[in-house]
Amino acid sequence: MEIVFAGFGGQGVLTAGLITAEMALENGKNVTWMPAYGPTMRGGKAYSVVKYADGIIGGPDMEEIDILVAMNEPSLEYAAYLKEGGLIIANTNNVSEDAPIDSKFRVIRIPCLTLAQKAQNPKAANIVAIGAMIKACGLFPEEQAKAVLRQIFVDKGKEKYTAMNEAAFMEGYQAV
Amino acid sequence: MAVLKKTPTMVSIPNHFCPGCGHGILNRLIAEVIEEKGYEKKTIMTLGVGCSCNMNASWNGDKIQCAHGRGAATATGVKIARPDLLSIAYQGDGDAYVIGLAETLNAAYRNEPITVFVINNNNFAMTGGQMSWTTMPGQVTTTSVHGRDPALTGMPIRVPEFAATFPDVAYVARGSVHSAKEINRLRGYVKNAIEAQLNGEGYALVEVLCQCPTNWGMSVEKSIKWMEEEVAPYYTLGELKGRRK
Amino acid sequence: MRKMWKGNHAIAEAAMRAGCQFYAGYPITPQTEVSEYLSYRMPELGRRFLQAENEMAAVYMIFGAYACGMRSMTSSSGPGFSLKQEGIAYLCANNYPAVLVNVQRWGPGLGTLDSSQTDYLRDTRGGGNGDYRVIVYAPNSIQETVDLMYNAFDVAEKYRNPVEILSEAALGQMMEPVEFPPFKERTEDLGWTFDGTDRPHGRIDNPQKPDALRAKVAAITANEQRWENYRVEDADYVFVAFGLPSRTCRNAVDQLREQGVKVGLIRPITVWPFPYKAFEEIPDTVKGVISVESTDAGQLIEDVALAVKKMCPGNVPVYGLFSGQKIPKTKEIVAFFGGVRSGETKEVF
Repeated sequence: MEIVFAGFGGQGVLTAGLITAEMALENGKNVTWMPAYGPTMRGGKAYSVVKYADGIIGGPDMEEIDILVAMNEPSLEYAAYLKEGGLIIANTNNVSEDAPIDSKFRVIRIPCLTLAQKAQNPKAANIVAIGAMIKACGLFPEEQAKAVLRQIFVDKGKEKYTAMNEAAFMEGYQAV
Repeated sequence: MAVLKKTPTMVSIPNHFCPGCGHGILNRLIAEVIEEKGYEKKTIMTLGVGCSCNMNASWNGDKIQCAHGRGAATATGVKIARPDLLSIAYQGDGDAYVIGLAETLNAAYRNEPITVFVINNNNFAMTGGQMSWTTMPGQVTTTSVHGRDPALTGMPIRVPEFAATFPDVAYVARGSVHSAKEINRLRGYVKNAIEAQLNGEGYALVEVLCQCPTNWGMSVEKSIKWMEEEVAPYYTLGELKGRRK
Repeated sequence: MRKMWKGNHAIAEAAMRAGCQFYAGYPITPQTEVSEYLSYRMPELGRRFLQAENEMAAVYMIFGAYACGMRSMTSSSGPGFSLKQEGIAYLCANNYPAVLVNVQRWGPGLGTLDSSQTDYLRDTRGGGNGDYRVIVYAPNSIQETVDLMYNAFDVAEKYRNPVEILSEAALGQMMEPVEFPPFKERTEDLGWTFDGTDRPHGRIDNPQKPDALRAKVAAITANEQRWENYRVEDADYVFVAFGLPSRTCRNAVDQLREQGVKVGLIRPITVWPFPYKAFEEIPDTVKGVISVESTDAGQLIEDVALAVKKMCPGNVPVYGLFSGQKIPKTKEIVAFFGGVRSGETKEVF
C-alpha cells in the first residue's frame, strides 16, 4: 500500500503520514514513512509518503501510489504517480470542484477544513482526511485506528487533544 | 643560596632545535612546572605541525602529533576523554594563529579547560622562514623578500589580546625568552597556565616570543637585540588576563 | 517493541547503545538530526556532546578523545565530510579507531539536499592524502543501520581503523519501525591508548608502514566482507546495488522473476572491503551484471567490474543504471533491464 499526503506546509501532511504509519505498524505491517524535505519543500509544498506491506518494502519514495490525499490543488500533480484505478481524496476547501482529474482515477471530494471546524478542531483537517481514507478503503478497523490516534497524542503529552482529534477523525469517517 | 637544579625528565633527551632557538627554553619551563606538580605521568602533550614536531623526538612524555592548526581541537578531545590528566597544546604561531586561528579562538571562546602554549617567532620556521601573520612590518622572509608590507598583508596579529576578551577564559599571558628576567617571568606565566587547568578554572593561553636566528638570518646575539628593540614593544609582555583568585 | 524512528535519530541512539561516550559535529543538512538528537540525549546519559566550530575541529576532537580510548564519533554530509578528510587521514596514519557517519547528499561542491550515493568513490578509497582505507558499511534500512552501528566501535577498535556508516539523505530522513539492542559499554583498557604514562602506543614507524597497511588490508578483506545475495544462484542477469537502490532493485527482481526472467541481486553491506566473495555464487552461465546506483556517471560500477573480472569466467558485460539525484524506481530498473536484454543498452565495461 502506497499513500501520499500532499499539501501546503502547515496542513499537517507530514503528521498525517506519521499517524497512518503508526496505524499500519499497529496492524502488524512493515512500514516506511518518508517526508519531502529541503528543496522539494520550497514554495511551501510538502508531502509525505507512507508505504506498508506484509513483506519487505522497496524504496521509500513515491513509485506507484494507491491513494493520493490532495489537501490543495497543486498536489494533484502527484497523480502522475497514481496507479490506474487509484484513489484521490481531494480537500474541496483547497481543491476547486472543476480541477482537472483524469477519469481513470476514483475521486472522493470532501471539505476537510469545514468538517474539522465542525468538530471544533480547525487544525485537524489532516485527521479528517485520514478518517475519510480509512473508511473509503477499509484500511484498518475503526476502533484500532482510533486507539492508535489516541495513543500518539498521549505519547506526545497532548492528552487534552485526544477527544477533539477523535471527533475530527469521525467527521471524516462518516463523510464517505 | 645556590640551588643545584637537575634537568627535568621530560626534557632529558637532547632536542633538535637549531642553535640559539628559544623553543628549548619553553620546553624546559613547562617540564619544570609539570615535575613540580608531580604530573610527569599524567600529562598529554598535543603537538602541532611546525618546529613543535621536533618534540616528537625529544619530549620525554606522552605526546600526540596532530595536524597543522588542529592542536586546540585535539587537546579538547584529550581533555574530554581524560579530565583527570593535564592536556596541553604546544604550537607555533603559523599553526595556532594562521591555519588554526579558528580552532585556537573557538577553544578559547568555549573556555575549554586546556592549556595552550604558542611559540611566536614571527615566521613559519619549519618550512624555511615564510611570512606569518606575526611577521613584523618590514621583516624579510622567503615570501616577503622586500620586507613585509602591512598595506598589502596586514599588521602583525595579536591573538592573546582577543582571547583575553572572552569573559570566561581563565588565564592569558605573553612572555618572552630574550632575557633571564623575561624567562623568570615566563616561568610564572607557565605555572599559572598549568595551575589554571589543574584547578578547573578554564582555558589558558601563553604566547611566547622566541628568537629564530636561523630564519631571521641573524646571529643569536643580534636576534635577541632585535626581539628586545622591535618585537617586544609591539607585542605587549605580561599578563593579559589574570587568574581569578 | 518496534517503534517508528527517523533514520538520523536511530543511528544516534544506536551509537549510544554501542557505548559512544563523546560526539562532536557541525550542522549540515540532511544529517543535522544526528547532532540535534545527541545534544540532549548525551547529557541525559552523562556523556559529552560538543557542537564544534567546523568539521575539521570536530574530527580532531574525536581524534584526541579516541587516542585516549574514549568511544567517539562524528557525523556529516557531502561537503562537510570532505572537510573531515584531513582528520580521517590522520586517524588512519596513527591507527586510531573512530566511528564516522556520512548521510550522503547529492553532488560535488554545495550540491543539493537530494538523496544520492555520489560519495561512494571518495569514501571507499580513503578520501584524503596517502594510502589508507576506511571500513564502510552501507545499510539499506533503519534497522540495519542500527545493527551495523551497534558493532561499529568494536570493529574500529579491533583493527584500530575508522569505521564509517554510509547513509543516504532519504535513509536519514525516513522512518521505519526499529528495535534497539541493549546498552553496552567497553570497560577494558585497549592497552595502547594515551594515559599520560607514555606507555607504548603500538606506533608503526617507517619503513614498516607499507607492510603494516598491507597486512591490515588483507585481514580486513579476509574477515569483514558482508553482503546479502537474493536469487543469484541460477540468475542469467545479476543486479548489484547497495543502500536504498538495493530495495527497489529487489522489487525489480521479484517483478522480473514473476515474468519468468532469471535475475538476482547482490547487495554489498560493506562497500569497503568490497564483497568479492558475494560474486562466487554467480553461475558461470551469467549473461550480464548490472550496477544500479544513485550516482550521475557511475561509481559503484567500477568495483562491480573489478569483481566480475576476478570472479566470473569469460568476458561478462557490466551495465550501469545511474539514477542521479534520486533512488531509481522499480519500474525504471525493469525498463532498463529490458534494454539490457534486447541489446539496445550497451555495456560500460
